[in-house]
Amino acid sequence: MKDFLLNIDRRIIFVFVALGVIIPSLTEFPLPIKPTSTVQSIYDTIEEIAAKNGTVLISFDYGPGSMPEVQPMALSVLRHCFNKKVKVVGMCLWPTGVGLAQLAFDTVSKEFGAQYGTDYVFLGFKPGYTTLILNMGRNFHDAFAQDLQGNRTTELAVTRNIKGLKDFDYVLCLAAGNTPDGAWIPFGQERYKFKFGLGCTAVMAPDQFPYLQSGQMNGLMGGLAGAAEYEVLIKTPGTATEGMRPQSIVHLIIILFIILGNVMYFLHGRQKGGA
Amino acid sequence: MLFLRRTLPLILAFVLGIIGIAIYYIPHNAAQDLENELAKWDRIVAAFAMLLGLYSLMRLHWSRVRRQQAGWGYSSLVFLGFAIMFFLSLFNNGLGPFVAKSSADTDPFVWMYNNVQVPADGTMFSILAFFIASAAYRTFRARTPEAAILLVSAMIVMIGRVPIGALISDWIPWAAQWLMAVPNLAAKRGILLGVSLGAVATSLRIIFGIERAYLGGGES
Amino acid sequence: MRKILIGIVWLLCVIPICAQQPEEVKAFDAPNDAGGSITVTWKRIDTLPPGTLYHIALSEFPEGPFHLVKKIASETNLMSDAPGTFGHGTETSQYHFFNITAFPDPGDSSKTVAIENGKTYYFQIGTQLPSGDLFFSNSIPAQAFGNLFNQTKLNNFILGTVFSIIILVSIYMARRRTLFIRRIAGLEALDEALGRATEMGKPVLFTHGLTGMGSVSTIAAVNILSRVARRTAEFNTTLRVANNDAVVMAVSHEVVKEAYLNAGRPDAYNEDIVFMAATEQFSYAAAVDGMMVRERPAANIMMGYFFAESLLLAETGASIGAIQIAGTDSYTQLPFFITTCDYTLMGEELYAASAYLAREPKLLGSLKGQDIGKAVVLLVLLMGTLLSTLGNQSLTHLFTAY
Repeated sequence: MKDFLLNIDRRIIFVFVALGVIIPSLTEFPLPIKPTSTVQSIYDTIEEIAAKNGTVLISFDYGPGSMPEVQPMALSVLRHCFNKKVKVVGMCLWPTGVGLAQLAFDTVSKEFGAQYGTDYVFLGFKPGYTTLILNMGRNFHDAFAQDLQGNRTTELAVTRNIKGLKDFDYVLCLAAGNTPDGAWIPFGQERYKFKFGLGCTAVMAPDQFPYLQSGQMNGLMGGLAGAAEYEVLIKTPGTATEGMRPQSIVHLIIILFIILGNVMYFLHGRQKGGA
Repeated sequence: MLFLRRTLPLILAFVLGIIGIAIYYIPHNAAQDLENELAKWDRIVAAFAMLLGLYSLMRLHWSRVRRQQAGWGYSSLVFLGFAIMFFLSLFNNGLGPFVAKSSADTDPFVWMYNNVQVPADGTMFSILAFFIASAAYRTFRARTPEAAILLVSAMIVMIGRVPIGALISDWIPWAAQWLMAVPNLAAKRGILLGVSLGAVATSLRIIFGIERAYLGGGES
Repeated sequence: MRKILIGIVWLLCVIPICAQQPEEVKAFDAPNDAGGSITVTWKRIDTLPPGTLYHIALSEFPEGPFHLVKKIASETNLMSDAPGTFGHGTETSQYHFFNITAFPDPGDSSKTVAIENGKTYYFQIGTQLPSGDLFFSNSIPAQAFGNLFNQTKLNNFILGTVFSIIILVSIYMARRRTLFIRRIAGLEALDEALGRATEMGKPVLFTHGLTGMGSVSTIAAVNILSRVARRTAEFNTTLRVANNDAVVMAVSHEVVKEAYLNAGRPDAYNEDIVFMAATEQFSYAAAVDGMMVRERPAANIMMGYFFAESLLLAETGASIGAIQIAGTDSYTQLPFFITTCDYTLMGEELYAASAYLAREPKLLGSLKGQDIGKAVVLLVLLMGTLLSTLGNQSLTHLFTAY
């Protein structure tokens, strides 16, 4: 028995994790979600931009794999922007982000009656990562001469007066890879000095703190928890808020397994020379 | 031949490397325009390189199918998947390949993306939760005092980042945030400084042609 | 007597005007930019009542007409707000500044006209009191032009130059004497892993991270691949190199081909050694995982910049019992590699790997230079922390990025 507990078959752990996701997803129990200061900061920035009728650039740098974590952020931020009449320009550094960004724009624009071209514009994907950002900083209309639908960006109301990245009131990157610290900060924010915020997967979040402290980033939404906090701020609970139940339980399960592993290690494993 | 394989790439690496560094400090329009132009070239090369990738992918799977290697049936699915998506992309919801990409819900390409790629990728990502749990159980042992500190910190952050932490005690989310913003930040910054210096040294080695292994051959 | 009275009345009228009129007005090309911008500075007036505004006016001719460019509150736009341009001196809080890039089109006020490089413009600063009275300064001419050096990046330039010199001198010095390099367990284990694969008659799997050739981590990974390929060619072991990026794949092809050629085994090289697994992150992870399970490589070498697929690859590798060596500067993924791999190269160890494996003095010299650079950074950090704690910000200002 002690050998079994010391080296539990990983498939048993998998079953517990699966049950930890399925059961809380099918049941309802309230959990307190308190917005952290880094999420609040993004919300406050959008409120400020709303007051001056500004424009936000959202870069959808994620793919279907990270959709459950990052898409709720996209939906919440778009809801906030469209509700407060903040103009939005969308783009993707990842080709697989195009479908998800389009889905988010379609869903939220219908909810708020936002008009394409006057309230928002979607530019789609272009290759280049860092070099695309450099081009956008230097000459926005040259880097994106047309939007995804083939309209000229010099003619669309939202993008007509955008000459470079500096002209955006806020750049928000929703990321599942290294586009914030590998591209947006060194090649965009550092050079063109725009206000920059980030929504990213939970695993990326700890890496972003140096940029928060240095002021190169003014806000951070990390993982599903960050998305849930934004949903609380805009008072529109969605999949992130719902996801907090299974996530909380799975975190507890993992902690319990770690404790069990350590208890068994101290009771039996150490005498044997380690587990 | 040696000139094309060695000398020319080294000259290009040196010249473009120095130009790249210089442009960073020169705000003049001429320098910025040059950078803009070089950035465009890079994007064009990157776009064409995708064709190379496609060729290699097809070549690999075709050889598997031809030799009927183990799992060749899966390789044939690559061709099926490619053919379907390529056709749907040209079909463009009935609009044809010469107009802007359709984003209508009714577009079969969009349907395939939403109903095949999204769930498939999501499934792969979700496997992480299972793997993290088993890897954490197997390896997170308080073998040394340092490991014990790491273990306790990890548990506080894990519980503090989800609402159940606040339900147990308000202290837990506060402690989680402190761990992220203070000790985590200090460690990350240390690594970041080391990595940045390493990147500077590697870049210099490449610009000055000291590091040549990336050109092939291995000798420096 | 009458003249004296007139003089007193004149003085009483002129003194308040002088007190409200902006002084020490200067106009010059805005520094550190590509041109198209002129900076105007003037002395702060401490005695202005609340609600006073400054008018910034521009004309294309010395005699006018002057066009209003902007009105700003009298307590804003101090030079101390822009230390990157004006420095941290105490006098910066005594002067205002304003950057002009465009002015209203005289023909159509809804449009603006951009400042042209090389053209002379004339500027006036006016003080508008809450009562409505407006006092203008004399007009000052200025031209805009593109700058050849961004002085706000001077500290960055000096630091970069100093580090580069340290590294280049270390490389030069390394030719003359043998340098010590500490043992890197992960790299020492490479031979063991390749030997094991050879003994077992199983392949060696090499995976790059997900970034392209523009990333230093990928270049370092390709450098390691070059050494690994040479050994596998010598040992006659099957090598498999899975790629995610077409350019990296093309470079890897060349690197492996050359390595086989240099090892005297061109016959052992075939085009299928280096292949494109998939371009999408999770398709790539699935393809490589599938390959691991089917072909069961004895050694799994993962070098480069990884994302969420790291644990998928490493955990699958652990489940098939492969000896695993990972190296990444993606510190988010380091914990996953450390928990699942036998050896992990952390951060800059990945960059050092090429020098370590080649034992080439010039490459080792750059590592030495890196260490000296690190010592300098540490020293500055310690001094900066100490001075900052004591309330002296001079070192902090010296290292601030603008």
